[in-house]
Amino acid sequence: MTTPYLRIRNLSKHFGDFTALDNVNIDIYRGEFVCFLGPSGCGKTTLLRAISGLDIQTHGTVEQDGRDISALPPAKRDFGIVFQSYALFQNLTVARNIAYGLENRKQPKAAIQQRVTELLELIGLPDSGHKYPAQLSGGQQQRVALARALAISPGLLLLDEPLSALDAKVRTHLREEIKSLQRRLGITTIMITHDQEEAISMADRIVVMRDGRIEQIGTPLEIYHQPASLFVAEFIGAMNLLPATRIGHGEIQLGSARLACAVQGYEPGAAVRAAVRPEDIVCTGKTNGHANSLQAEVHDLEFMGPFFWLSLGGGELGEHRLRAQLPSQRARELDLRPREALHLHIPAEHIRLFPNSYSHG
Amino acid sequence: MVAPRVRPRLGRDEWLMGGGLLVLALYLAITLLVPLALMLTKSVQDREGAFVGLANFAQYFTNPALSGAIGNSLWVSALATAITIALAFGYAYALNRSCIPFKGFFRLVAMLPLLAPSLLSAIALVYLFGNQGALKGWLFGESIYGPIGIVIGSVFWTFPHALIIISTALATADARLYEASESLGASRWRTFTVVTLSGARYGLISALFVVFTLVITDFGVPKVVGGQFNMLATDIYKQVVGQQNFQMGAVVSLLLLLPAVLAFFVERWAQRRQISSLSSRAVPYRPKPSPVRDLALLGFVGLVALVILGILGMAAFASFAKLWPYNLSLTLSHYDFSNADGGSWASYGNSIRLALYTAVSGSLVVFVGAYLVEKTRVAKPLRTATHLLALIPMAVPGMVLGLAYIFFFNAPGNPLNFLYGTMAILVLATIAHFYTVSHLTALTALKQLDPEFESVSAALKTPFYRTFWRVTTPMCLPAILDIAIYFFINAMTTVSAVVFLYAPHTTLASVAVLNMDDAGDTAPAAAMAMLIVYTSAGVRLLHAWLSRWLLRRTQAWRLQGR
Ligand SMILES: Nc1ncnc2c1ncn2[C@@H]1O[C@H](COP(=O)(O)OP(=O)(O)OP(=O)(O)O)[C@@H](O)[C@H]1O
Ligand SMILES: [Mg+2]
Repeated sequence: MTTPYLRIRNLSKHFGDFTALDNVNIDIYRGEFVCFLGPSGCGKTTLLRAISGLDIQTHGTVEQDGRDISALPPAKRDFGIVFQSYALFQNLTVARNIAYGLENRKQPKAAIQQRVTELLELIGLPDSGHKYPAQLSGGQQQRVALARALAISPGLLLLDEPLSALDAKVRTHLREEIKSLQRRLGITTIMITHDQEEAISMADRIVVMRDGRIEQIGTPLEIYHQPASLFVAEFIGAMNLLPATRIGHGEIQLGSARLACAVQGYEPGAAVRAAVRPEDIVCTGKTNGHANSLQAEVHDLEFMGPFFWLSLGGGELGEHRLRAQLPSQRARELDLRPREALHLHIPAEHIRLFPNSYSHG
Repeated sequence: MVAPRVRPRLGRDEWLMGGGLLVLALYLAITLLVPLALMLTKSVQDREGAFVGLANFAQYFTNPALSGAIGNSLWVSALATAITIALAFGYAYALNRSCIPFKGFFRLVAMLPLLAPSLLSAIALVYLFGNQGALKGWLFGESIYGPIGIVIGSVFWTFPHALIIISTALATADARLYEASESLGASRWRTFTVVTLSGARYGLISALFVVFTLVITDFGVPKVVGGQFNMLATDIYKQVVGQQNFQMGAVVSLLLLLPAVLAFFVERWAQRRQISSLSSRAVPYRPKPSPVRDLALLGFVGLVALVILGILGMAAFASFAKLWPYNLSLTLSHYDFSNADGGSWASYGNSIRLALYTAVSGSLVVFVGAYLVEKTRVAKPLRTATHLLALIPMAVPGMVLGLAYIFFFNAPGNPLNFLYGTMAILVLATIAHFYTVSHLTALTALKQLDPEFESVSAALKTPFYRTFWRVTTPMCLPAILDIAIYFFINAMTTVSAVVFLYAPHTTLASVAVLNMDDAGDTAPAAAMAMLIVYTSAGVRLLHAWLSRWLLRRTQAWRLQGR
């Protein structure tokens, strides 16, 4: 394994009595695209500002490319940054904005000109160099901000919710553009977002944060399919979280049904939460051809186009409620109606157990 | 495990900004804090400098000739404040909540008193109601010299100050409240008291205290038209300039400091409330025509405007009339000053120099200072301390500042003693005197910029001063112009701080007005006061033209984003 490009160790940040970051450890490798994901106020920006030196942490170290930068001011570090507000210099043209970091380096004018043209092309605005930021749309302004940050070829690109201020359509479009740009340049990138879809679609790895701590670090697939905690399970994607009891023989009891699953770490009789994704529930209809099945009633059907949302309850589920995603084609085959009873199969490998309450760690 | 605490290392930017902040804090300490502190100690010393405890205070309060001024100052200021607030509220209401015509004109007229020294209104009053006054009969035998003159003169020059504050409060009304009140079937009067008055209450409170402080600390009006009527501000002058009793001057200064400090805190409190009571989703209120109300308000506003123009016009006319009231043919001879006692064109030249120096160096210090206070990433306590220092002048009357400067700069051991009696000390005093409003203006402008400009600049390895020069300054240029003009006009018109500090070769136009009036050369005094008005007005016009030109030139990038 190569050594990490960015190594964050035991990082904490206090604002008076308030702990905004609590013992954070992350390794980020060269060329990776990492997303910090978490609810508002969990410390994402604080972590990014510690990495950039704009707001230095209280404790802990940051190493970049083998160099300890923990205490260095931002000007002594190597990064480019883009903010949600764009922070473009409104009184300078787009070209002057992009050239801003270059002009300070005493490069020949022609070289600067050349680089600016190159970057304008890279962001798809070759003819906008003479315009002022106010004459561009939000999405265009954010691309200019990106070009300005990339102009000095930083080793690390930091993006603090770059897409949040844009409307949905521009957002999806720019999402792909940033991702492909990052791949092309191979620049190590950290992006903050509180939009899980954004994180899942863009990141090589996701850092899920809560209350100043890291809940889980992993690829989007790992985060989605193997959430490390109840918080992650609930925060990412749709998830059923049902109270259940561990019984003997590698099984849990859910309502009056018994289901097999991985039960390591839980004593028989322990109360647990069983996490099941709606799309992992298989409706087998009137027949029950599988092990790990239970029978329940359809409370509600919601047509979403490619699939239906099913609200299930009663039967063996008893008081519990379960949401399932049923492909439209399968629903047609089954010809489901409300109040109908049906059998559901939940594969053992898609049931994950969590302790009954939130906890840190 | 607990990692060791990180000690951030400072880069060049941090050193420079932190250092700049330290220099600014020292500057404010020297031109403000230390002189004031020294003055406080003088009040508990005798003439030889020995500590005498509260003996000076005891002497003051047991001498009715002295302490009587407290009561005088209080009731005269209260009365003038009440009248000013009532007039300003009506005027502001008409401008913001009715459909009267010529609003721009009326707004302009109301601002005219800002261009003149407070002395001007007093001189005009002498011409109108004095012993040879044209309208003397209107006073039913009462003399204009005394409380009546002080109240009328004070109302004239504090009116625009009150109007600005109340107008701001009324301008930001939320139309939704009016609709709600109407739909609930509330009567006009109820809507007025509940919605209008309560919406403007912080503005009213704020204006109340500001005007009260302006009146009680003003020196020009009572000096000219006060007669034998003692006020605190004139007492300081008498004690210091007349009797060279600096200790008693310090005692009176302390008394004068009390209402000013109180007003300062109330004003800050009201400001904060005013801002937070306005939600960002407020819908601006648009007045609907209502013939009766509009006609009544037009009459009222017209009358007030007429009085303002009348007072100003009287002073102007007096400056051109050959020998009031016997020979009213026009002449320019009063503008000659060579025969007048206490003023000359040199004083006018000095005033222009003072105003220019103050405008240039003042806006430089204030803007750079506000930038450092707002944007320095390190030295948080120093930032807070400097900001607090910058707020002090608001609570310090000019007379008090001037006296404090005598104590500090004239102290024998002080290495800054060489400044005493120079133009420089006048510039320092004037900047200090008008620091707070300028500082707050600059801060407001800076806060409107994206807070991450400095972060971006640091990430691009560009030194902060480059971004300050290429981005921050151009974007704040309108505010910087506002600050410069504020300094200029105040430097032209102020009397209170500088009256203790000028030397024979640095006499000022505003002080010359005072001295010529004192010597009985009233017409030249009026001429000099009008010179100040012409100059201020000219500079104002220049400022308006410059601002418009600037706006046009920068229109391209000031476009709102889409
Ligand atoms: N300068 C500060 N002083 C005190 N508390 C602060 C400061 N900056 C941040 N905080 C607190 O630290 C916590 C984390 O803030 P941070 O801005 O890092 O959150 P975030 O994850 O970026 O949230 P968002 O998604 O809303 O941007 C918040 O509770 C915030 O109130
Ligand atoms: Mg944030």
